[in-house]
Order: sequence, then structure tokens, then C-alpha cells
Amino acid sequence: MTADAGPSSLASLRAALGERVFALESPLRAGGSTLTARVEPADAEELATCLRILSEAREPVLVMGAGTRMDLGNPARGVSTALSCRRLAGIVEFDPTDGVVQVSAGTPLAELAGIVEAEGWLLPLDPPDRGGTVGGVLATAICGPRQRGFGPVRDAVLGIDTVLASGERTRCGARVVKNVTGYDMAKLYVGSLGTLGVTEKAWLRLKPIPASLRVVELAVAPDEDAFSLALAAARRNSARAVALLGEPADSPLKNGGHRRIVAEFAGEPPATEADADWLSRGRGEVSEAGTAIDDLRRLQAQPLPGGLRARIHVLPGRLAAAWEKLQDLGAELLAYPEPGVIHARFGPGEDEGDFGWLSEVLEALEGIRAGLEAEVVLEALPDGAATEWDVFAGARGLDLMRSIKQRFDPAGILNPGRFAGRI
Amino acid sequence: MTPNSEADTSIFIERLSAVVGAANCLSRPEELYTYGCDGLTLDAHLPSAVVLPISRDEVVAVVAICREFGRCFVPRGAGTGLSGGAVPVEGAVVICCSRMRGILEVYAENRLAVVQPGVVNAHLSEAVAPLGLFYAPDPSSQQACTIGGNVAENSGGPHTLKYGTTTNHVLALEMVLPDASWVRLGSPTGFAPGYDLVGATVGSEGTLGIVTEVTVRLVAIPEAVETILAIFDDVPAACRLVGGIIRSGMVPAALEVVDQRTIRAVEASVYAAGLPSDAGAVLIIELDGASCEMASLVEQIRELGEREGVRDLRIARDAEERTLFWRARKGAFGAMGRLAPDLYVHDAVVPRASLPEVLAEICAIGDRYRLTLSNVFHAGDGNLHPNISFDRRDPDELARVIEAGREMLELCVRVGGVLTGEHGVGIEKRDYMGMLFEPEDLDAMLRLRDVFNPDGVCNPGKVIPTTRACVEANPKARGYDEVPLG
Repeated sequence: MTADAGPSSLASLRAALGERVFALESPLRAGGSTLTARVEPADAEELATCLRILSEAREPVLVMGAGTRMDLGNPARGVSTALSCRRLAGIVEFDPTDGVVQVSAGTPLAELAGIVEAEGWLLPLDPPDRGGTVGGVLATAICGPRQRGFGPVRDAVLGIDTVLASGERTRCGARVVKNVTGYDMAKLYVGSLGTLGVTEKAWLRLKPIPASLRVVELAVAPDEDAFSLALAAARRNSARAVALLGEPADSPLKNGGHRRIVAEFAGEPPATEADADWLSRGRGEVSEAGTAIDDLRRLQAQPLPGGLRARIHVLPGRLAAAWEKLQDLGAELLAYPEPGVIHARFGPGEDEGDFGWLSEVLEALEGIRAGLEAEVVLEALPDGAATEWDVFAGARGLDLMRSIKQRFDPAGILNPGRFAGRI
Repeated sequence: MTPNSEADTSIFIERLSAVVGAANCLSRPEELYTYGCDGLTLDAHLPSAVVLPISRDEVVAVVAICREFGRCFVPRGAGTGLSGGAVPVEGAVVICCSRMRGILEVYAENRLAVVQPGVVNAHLSEAVAPLGLFYAPDPSSQQACTIGGNVAENSGGPHTLKYGTTTNHVLALEMVLPDASWVRLGSPTGFAPGYDLVGATVGSEGTLGIVTEVTVRLVAIPEAVETILAIFDDVPAACRLVGGIIRSGMVPAALEVVDQRTIRAVEASVYAAGLPSDAGAVLIIELDGASCEMASLVEQIRELGEREGVRDLRIARDAEERTLFWRARKGAFGAMGRLAPDLYVHDAVVPRASLPEVLAEICAIGDRYRLTLSNVFHAGDGNLHPNISFDRRDPDELARVIEAGREMLELCVRVGGVLTGEHGVGIEKRDYMGMLFEPEDLDAMLRLRDVFNPDGVCNPGKVIPTTRACVEANPKARGYDEVPLG
């Protein structure tokens, strides 16, 4: 079907958008699809035109930012065209007095962070991969080590201009920091993996740059309760990032219970000093910045060819139980105790194409999900193993979600199949 | 369907009584009167019945009976809302959740609680205080308002600057849908796969369903609190200090401004806080956090204040004095009672930096309409509460109150603001939504509502206007007012 639908809608797109549409010289594998064409609208009007044509032709597209997290999500169904938002870039309005910024979706995160920092503000978005775009972070809602201090992605979003699948341009929220005018549509769009509409631009709330920083790195003594210590650290007043790390899988200490804590405290100097002193108690390393948080991000985002990366959300009180079970499965672990998240890395298996180990791991993850009331997201599956599992297992209210998708994207063109329940 | 006959109605009431018990099913006019409005008293409508269920199953049964008899229904908490969200238009049945007031579970280690919707906001904080925890959203009505009502309105309060509003504290919900089924949404872990239906439900003003259980985050009671009263000659200077504090990197728990008109009303009332009545504005700054950081924070605020020409800066010495300082803010609404029989509490948000000019303009609007107007506001959030004291028995004055309110909202939208920061749209501002939104924007909201509440039987007439073109195109599917009932 796609092979037939592709060329005809491409011709319409070309007629309307000209040079914004082009065939890829060599097919690109992304989001479980083989992409042969790409369209890159350069403004909201072009984006709307593009979506209207695609909806009318019922031609599905893979919506992309910088393409850094195309491994997240179920494989898309029948997609051969990519809709790239990277040309929808730039700051629309930045109010340094108020600490709010309206930015186009394709703007690289690093660029935005640099611009607001020059005016004394901090962009409170902390995805592990720094190469992404604003729209990509809003779509995936992925958090890094600083979620403790920044809150989830949705907390930073004040309003979104969304182009719906039909090409209708809609707006929700505003530039103000408190707002209950109508339904909170931005909550629906954030984390929806581009399945309800395409973000054109968004108002974001910035945070002030803290007056001081302290980073503590320490090895937890074998007789010490690493989980309680990490959780207590995460609950200190100035904690902005606290991570608990296991030994790498190939370490001889793997089962020795040797764990490390990395903590970042941000705020007023007396508070950060007190919190850093409390945690280090004269041991470990205390620094004023360092690369420890960047290292955590790198570790969290590091690709694992042929392996499985899973994210497990669990209540802080069950972190230890989940950790032990995951460790028994041979996973490499990185955990943020508050809110409780464990990033686990498994495999790859010894023989390519042998996914016996994977079934075993997935079964165990399912056990953790059900037994510990955890949520499990498979962030990256090994190539070739992707089709059998819903990577966002266990969505509650799935009928409502399907109905939402149906009303926002009746032709089913936006990232079809990629989201929870293969929406 | 045939119109509701009296015989139908009596069977309907009997059926409802059988579910909730006769004592919890009200249908006599004198019983219904209380439920005709919430805190917005200007537009009351008598419900056809009021039921007070005690469990999810009773809510399910009540909704099923309402559907069977073609009646629409309105969820209600304590009725403290200020935008008419709980007003039963079209003779709707009020489903009042105030008897569902159980705190079901408290997990201290995980800092969360599972509560029924009728739990009073302040009672939850009192219950978990021995564990060193509290529930952060603190609307002014917290001694009476319920968690379920807070979820419906996404309620805020003075401390939202640091702690966020209700939406930042709700992790999971159990909700009875308008088709009499029920669902669980969200996750106590803070992440749930799929669309953020909890986020979309919080603040939907009871138009998507009836929440029957709420899992909320609890927050550690701060080790130290400092409350500072900064007295200024005028509002712009107070606002400049607010801007300076926000830019400094400090995140105070609260930044509240009370204007001169309010100070005079408060000082003349039983809420008198000892403020100089010639002061132009008072800024209440509350800081909380670790004991060790308080001294330097207070010092920074003193320096910033002096730079903005603060007339006097008082630091509360103890809890008693803190309460006294807050009386200037929290007693404001009560003090207004001395000025006139009625008080219209407005609610709008503007960019923080535009506060001084917007306030001057709002006062000018009040003067132009010859109204008694005063201002208290959450300055840190840009959330204004212009208060108009009036007498509803004077139809000319009432008309001027409404007209001035509309003009104030137009002003706020013009500078990039919005119609409401914490009171909600309800019926009060429903027909003003077009000031802020295009038909396509409202249509996107209707798409969401239609998923949960396709025939509009749950809390009809609220939030979204029904007179827009996109609505007229399909009144049966879209409109509340045109829903064929009975």
C-alpha cells in the first residue's frame, strides 16, 4: 500500500512545497521503518500544508527532530516518508525579565540552553542526549539525572502551538507561569511521541541559575545501605541530581555490592555546602562542578548495539527490590532514587539473532512491573527483535487513548504504531 | 425520549435513594437551595436532586441511573469554587462527594497518600503532619475545600510559586466516566505509559468524569520558614522587588502583594495586622528550606529591598507574628465584607514584568466604572485578584461590575495574559474564552472532552462556549446546551 501511496502524495507535496521535499539518496532506517523521502517544512504554514496533504492522502509519516531518539517507541507501520522539524528553528520570543521563552520546535536544545544562559537563566530540560531538539524532548518527555531538581518535562512547558494532523493550527497555554484557562492540552501533547499533532513552537518556563553547585562522588561501603543513603541524599533540600550506580557488568566486583553515588547539590552556598558535607562525611570527592553529571547522561544514553535498554519507574521504597532483581538478571544499572527510575542495560546475546536471553529478560521485567507496581519502558530493543513487544506495556485507559488518537489524527498519519498500545 | 414527567421524577428519586439511602438523596426545594451555586453566587440554578454517595460503586450506580433517566449531572466537592463550576445548570443532578472523605493510605517512605475526593485539603496536611509531611497546594479555602474539587479546578494558592499547583501533586486517579464505567489513570511512580490522562483531567472542571480516588504527592515540611513583610510607598516598587528576587535565583515559597486599598480595608477590620494605612503596598515574602540558608537569604532580600526603596522591612520573630503578617493577605476577603454586601473576586494572570502597569490600568477601570476595587495578588506568579465590593441589589452597579470585569480580562489578554490562573473558567468565563482562543483551539479541547463525555451529560454548560461556528456545525455531538435530554 505504502509503495503506491508514497509517490502520489509526494507529488502533491512537491507541488505545494517544492524544494522542501526530497527523495533520500539511500534509504534511511529509523523508527522501525525504511524511509525513502523527507519533507522539511520551514514554517508553520508549510507544516500545516504538508500535514493537510498527507492526511488527505492518508500517507503516514515519521515525525523527527534531530533523530537522536528514533530508537524509542514501537516500530512505525507502513511509513516511508520522514517529516523533519529541524528547519522550524529559532527563538520566537525571549523575555529575560520574566524567565520565559517561546521557541520553535526544531531548535537544537544546546543552542537554546546557551542563549538563555547568557541572560542568567537555566533551561530546565535535561535529556540524556544533548544533541536533540526542543520538539523532540517534548515528544519523548525523556529526563536525565536532573529530574529531581527540574521536575518532569511537562513542568517546563507553559504552552504549545500544535499543528494537528488535519493541518489545523491550534494553540494551548500561554506565556504566563500559572494558567487554568480551559483544558490543559499541553499535558496531552507532552510525551505523546508525536502521535497527536506536530509541535510548531512552545513557551517554556526557565529556572534561575543557582548561586552555587557542589558535586559529590563516593563509593558506598559494602556494609552501608546504598539505597537509603541515595534516597536520603535525594531528599536533601538542595539536591538537584542524585544517582546510584552499580559496577559495570564486567567488573569482578559485580556481586560484591560495591556501588557509587553521584550527587549534585544546587542553591544557596550554605545549603549546598551543608548537603555536600552531610553526604560525603569527609570521604569521596567534592567538587564545584566537574563532569560527573555529564558522565551520568552519557551512561544513560549510551547505545547498546544488539542489547536491550529498559527504563523502570518504581516507588523509592521499592528501588532496592527492583535493583536486586535486575542485578540478578545481569543488568548494568543506573538509578535515580527520587523520583524512582532505574536505567537497566542488558545483553547483547552471544549469538546474533538468538533472542532467547531477551525473552527471559522481558519475562522478568514483566514480573517486576506486575509484582512491584513498577512501569517499564523498553527504550531500545535489539535490531530484529522489535516487533513482538509493546515497548510501553501496561497503559491504563488505553480505550480512552485510542479514542483520543482517533479524534486528533483520524487518518492515522502521525507516527502510526509507535506509541503505547501501538497507537 | 419523552419529557420528564412528575411520575418519572419520583421514580428517579426513589431509584437514587435506593443507592445512596434516603438520607443522602435530597429533592425538597429547601434542601436543594444550598446546592444551587458555589462561591460564585451570581448565577444560581436549582438542581433536580442532590445525591451524596460514599463510594465509587455508588457513584457508578448514580451515574447509570442518571443516564437511564436522561438526566445530566454535576460533580461537587465543598462548593467553594469561584467560577461556577459546580452550578447545576439545566436542572442537573448534583453528585456531591463530600461524604467520601477517607484518607485511605499514607505511604510515608514514598511520600504519597491515597485519598477519597471529599477529603478536606487542610485535613490531609493535618493528618500527615506527624510524619513530617504536608500536602502542598493551599488554596485560600483550604479549611473547607476538598481534594476532589482541587483536582477539578487545578487549584493553586499562595505557595504555588515554589511548590506548583494541584497538577504537580496528583500522581494517579480513579474516575467514574460519564458512561458509568470507571478507570484508573496514572501511576504512583509519577510516570504512566501512554498519554498523560491524569494531566489532561486535572483542571478539567468536572467535565470529563467524577474522580473517586486521588493519589497525591506529599512534601517534607521545611526545616525553617521565614516570613518577611516589606512595606512600600507604591505598588511598582513592590513589584520591582518581586522581579529582583526572582532574577536572583532564590525561589521563595510565596510572594504576595496587598495594595493600599486592601491595606486600609484590612486595618479597619478585625484582621488588622498593624500596617501603616498610608503604605502604598505590602509585599509578603515567605522563604522556606534549610535553617542554614535562611540568614543569607534574608540578608539578600534586605539588600534587594533597600535598592528598591523599601520603607520598612519586618521579619516575623515567631509563628504568632507570622500569622499576623499573613492576616494582611488572608484576611483581605473577610475585611471586604465591611465595605459592601457582595464581593466579586476576579482572577487573571499577566506576565510578571507587566504587573505594575496592568494594576494601574485595572484601578483606572475600577474608577471609571465607579466601583470599590482593591487588589491582592500572587506577584511571583503574575496572578492578579482584583476584588470588587458591590451590592447586587443595585442592578446598575451589578451591570458595571460585570462590564468592568470583562474590560479587565481584555486588558490582561492584551498584554499576553490569560483569563484565569486558579479559579477556573466554569460558567463565569466560558463566554470569554474567545478572547484568548481561536475556534480551532477550542475545537481541540472539544475533541478531548468528546472522548470522555461525548453527549455532554457530565457538568453541562461549563468551560467551553457552545456558540462558536465549529460547535453549531454539530450541536448534538458538541453542545451542552442542546443536548436532548429526557
